[in-house]
Amino acid sequence: MRRAFGPVLAVDGVDLELLPGEIHALVGENGAGKSTLAAIAYGAIAPDEGSIAASGSVGLVHQHFKLIERLRVWENVLLNREPRRGWSIDVAAARERVRGLAARYGLEVDPDARVETLPIGIKQRVELLRELDREPTVLLLDEPTAALAPSEIASFFATVTDLAKRGTAILVVTHKLAEVIAYSQRVTVMRHGRVVARSLTAETDAGAIARAMVGGELPALASRLETQPRALLEVRGLSARSGTSVLRDATFDVRAGEIVGVAGIEGNGQTALADALAAIVPFSGELRFDGALLRADDTPADRLARGIRVIPQDRRHEALVLDWTVRDNVALGRQRTLPLAKFGEAAREVIERFDVRPPNADAIAGMLSGGNQQKIVVGRMLADAPRLVVAYQPTRGIDIGAAALVQSRLIEARNAGAGVLLISFELDEIFACADRVLVIANGRFAGAFARAEIDRGRIGALMAGHTA
Amino acid sequence: MTALLRTRAARDVGVVLVAVFGVGSLAMALAHVSPLVGFGSLFDGAFGTPEEVAETLVQTTNLLFPALGIAIAFRAGLFNIGAEGQLMLGGFAAGWLGAQFPLPAYLAIPMVLIGGAIAGGAWGAIPGFLRAKLGANEVISTLMLNFVATLLTTYLVTGPLAQTGGGSQETGTLPKAAQIPDMMVDSRLTYAFVLALVLAAVLWWVLKRTVFGYELRAAGEAPEAARRAGIDLARTAFVAMTLSGAIAGIGGATIVAGVLHRFNTGLSPGYGFIAIAVALVGNLDPLWIVLASLGFGMLQSGGVAMQAEAGVPREVVSLVTGLVIVALAGRRAIANRRTT
Repeated sequence: MRRAFGPVLAVDGVDLELLPGEIHALVGENGAGKSTLAAIAYGAIAPDEGSIAASGSVGLVHQHFKLIERLRVWENVLLNREPRRGWSIDVAAARERVRGLAARYGLEVDPDARVETLPIGIKQRVELLRELDREPTVLLLDEPTAALAPSEIASFFATVTDLAKRGTAILVVTHKLAEVIAYSQRVTVMRHGRVVARSLTAETDAGAIARAMVGGELPALASRLETQPRALLEVRGLSARSGTSVLRDATFDVRAGEIVGVAGIEGNGQTALADALAAIVPFSGELRFDGALLRADDTPADRLARGIRVIPQDRRHEALVLDWTVRDNVALGRQRTLPLAKFGEAAREVIERFDVRPPNADAIAGMLSGGNQQKIVVGRMLADAPRLVVAYQPTRGIDIGAAALVQSRLIEARNAGAGVLLISFELDEIFACADRVLVIANGRFAGAFARAEIDRGRIGALMAGHTA
Repeated sequence: MTALLRTRAARDVGVVLVAVFGVGSLAMALAHVSPLVGFGSLFDGAFGTPEEVAETLVQTTNLLFPALGIAIAFRAGLFNIGAEGQLMLGGFAAGWLGAQFPLPAYLAIPMVLIGGAIAGGAWGAIPGFLRAKLGANEVISTLMLNFVATLLTTYLVTGPLAQTGGGSQETGTLPKAAQIPDMMVDSRLTYAFVLALVLAAVLWWVLKRTVFGYELRAAGEAPEAARRAGIDLARTAFVAMTLSGAIAGIGGATIVAGVLHRFNTGLSPGYGFIAIAVALVGNLDPLWIVLASLGFGMLQSGGVAMQAEAGVPREVVSLVTGLVIVALAGRRAIANRRTT
């Protein structure tokens, strides 16, 4: 298989074979050509060279969900295949069909819910159900767990394994090696558009796969230097609401020179916390920053002016202007303080410090990979010596190399004296970076652990909502 | 959001040419006129003599102001369909002020233009305020305010602010000092044309090179990211709509002070609507909009000759203008579907 985009050979002479009943993992760094290969296999992109042979139909679940937000679940699942009664849609039958499908695969979802009201984990189920309704013999999953919480990941793969047992050939495009090891039977590693390793999963390990992905040793995280933490952000009885996300009565501190991790499953109040700190939503309770009370009617600009930087969860909608250049995006949020003539210089600094590819300030942000987009966002947030950095899922859906780089820069910001609040659904990320860990469940803070006292089992139990 | 409306200008030229020449030819054929003859008389009518070129530039000017105003609003993500009403208000203010206060030229002309800008700006500020404070959809409010503008100016000019008496739908004639000087004898072309070109250049610079332009574009392209970057979306919406209306208002003032020398309720044959097509064809970029205005100005001025000489109804021009909007909107919808 071969496919070029302009001068870039995205997929270069790749052979891939999927067998019924097998979960095949396709791994690689950002831009290795995984998604392109999946799109070719699905038929969405025509290869320049090569051919595909499949017995039966092929289904694809995208990394970025392709759902119609304003429609209901059953309308999305059965789109274009609605059961008819004469000229109209047989709604009762449609609802029943979706309910049956959901029950058969253990993907519980309310057929009548509007998609826009659902959390990401449930949206993913809808996306999967839509493909399953077509009864594909080959199912391609592009980064399926990028937005899922730990418990959701386990149940998702239980479903996928079950599907494979029924004879479906499954390709999982991913960068999460723990999932590769835990759930796949075979693994193919791509780098720069070529296959660099193939093996049975049982005969390899995460270290070997990771080295094949990056073509050498893994990037180490920046080391944590000794700091003298001092008071910075004091949160007392903070309550806030952002959409469906609710935070109740949160009390904690973030000191300058430390990373405080907020561990929790998605949908437990994290969005309300991040949005309250960014002044996107009002709050009640007391927020004290650097000794001064923050007002509930602050604007986002007021918080920016105090040196508070919030890295939002959804980089594509909340942090970037996708049609703009890297240069203009690096200036976003600093447009009042950074003279126009300095935009280029600021962009080059971020590109260099964060190893943005391509290293071109004139590149359009929307054309970059997710990892490189995130580097731009994090880069600009850390550019002018912030006092407090709130990083909400800062490595969501990006590869190992980019994630390690983002985490290292956050640690360096801490070393330089910034306070960092790291809100993440990935426990490994929190354990790797945080000086202290807070657990959030059902909108409330449920426990606190110093780095030396971190207890995976207890944190997991608290995240699931069990009291300590 | 605005990405939906902006694509590569060069690719759209093909679409526009097909709409104009393809469908135009078909319409002429249906009117039993050879397209060669029809388009021949159109071009001849628009560019045949220096006077006709001047008239084409008059039409260009009349479209350029509202198109620039529309582009500013659209770039901020606000679909200002109310340029026609803003232009009417601007024209009325210019006509009334000019006739009411005889001043020397160096005061009268700025008064007329600024008055037009303020009146048009106020007419744009109303939907801007409703949008900023109440989240009211500006498409509906600007569209409806067009009707209100026609009725309001008609009421004012015949009622409380009547200058001529007898229920005439006109203001008094502007004194010579308040009239924008002609650029060419025996034509209606005035220095308003130069003003429009300068304004286009200034707006290009504002959008491209100022913090205000940067924030306006960010608010239009990615409102959520803009809000989180400290940009006040409500304030941006209000300012952009006010500015948009003010530019259209200046356009109305130049028609009154340059072409008609009085306000008349029939001063615009729909410039504010045709200008939507002009702004879209110009890719919402002030400099491209100058070219687009020239193209549509040609259709406007040549259309008269086409009707007189070739017997093709003038409505063919309206038909083609409408088709350009439909074709561009359709092409963009397709392009948008491919990229997402």
